[in-house]
Amino acid sequence: MSSTASSSPALPIARLLLRILILVNWLWGVAILVLLFGVPNRDWILSALKLAGSPDADRVVMALRATVVLGLVVIPLNNIFLTRLLAIVDTVRAGDPFVAANAKRLQTMAWAMVALQVLGMVIGAIIKAVSTPAHPINVDTGGSINGWLAVLLTFLLARVFAEGAHMREDLQGTV
Amino acid sequence: MAIVVKLDDLLHERRMTLTELSGRIGMTLANLSILKTGKARAIRFSTLEAICDALSCQPGDILTFEPEGVGEESFT
Repeated sequence: MSSTASSSPALPIARLLLRILILVNWLWGVAILVLLFGVPNRDWILSALKLAGSPDADRVVMALRATVVLGLVVIPLNNIFLTRLLAIVDTVRAGDPFVAANAKRLQTMAWAMVALQVLGMVIGAIIKAVSTPAHPINVDTGGSINGWLAVLLTFLLARVFAEGAHMREDLQGTV
Repeated sequence: MAIVVKLDDLLHERRMTLTELSGRIGMTLANLSILKTGKARAIRFSTLEAICDALSCQPGDILTFEPEGVGEESFT
């Protein structure tokens, strides 16, 4: 069974994809930092959103900066999720995924997903607060029931792996 | 663990080595060693049956229950 898992092309592809995503995530973090401290100054934002002279201008700029700061918090959370998933893929490749460490990894991933969902909700609320019919701001924060279902599924999967690891331990000690 | 494996004593009584037993019941020496040293977490009925058959004994001759802490109390 382990040889089937280790010979599956899905695993090397997943491994490569996850490594790329980890790199892209950090590059995304650098881009957000540039966005926060570099390129767009207040005037640039106001002209891009056609808000120059608007009474809402300061509120919008503040909200966008807060959103970018929160976006920065997303980076380490994404990294936690991706690195744990990569470690799980490695254990599948090694032919021994039902280990207690994977249950712990899945639980960590689930908590990271909870934090990401909450962050998405906060960002959505900030955007909604400053968006007006005259100057609508549309940002996809990904706040959907699917996200919360994925969180639930990951917590359940962590439990399944914990039980699986326990059964595996028992089986290994059975003569 | 409160369950104690008496395989070593039984083998000694029968003048049989672990390797011989391993050959007779078709079980690996490594697994038998795990059982003998009390490191096993569980034993299959089929294993128990094979050992009882090979050593002409009852399961109770191989496994005994000794409540934990009894030995410690006798030292205090």
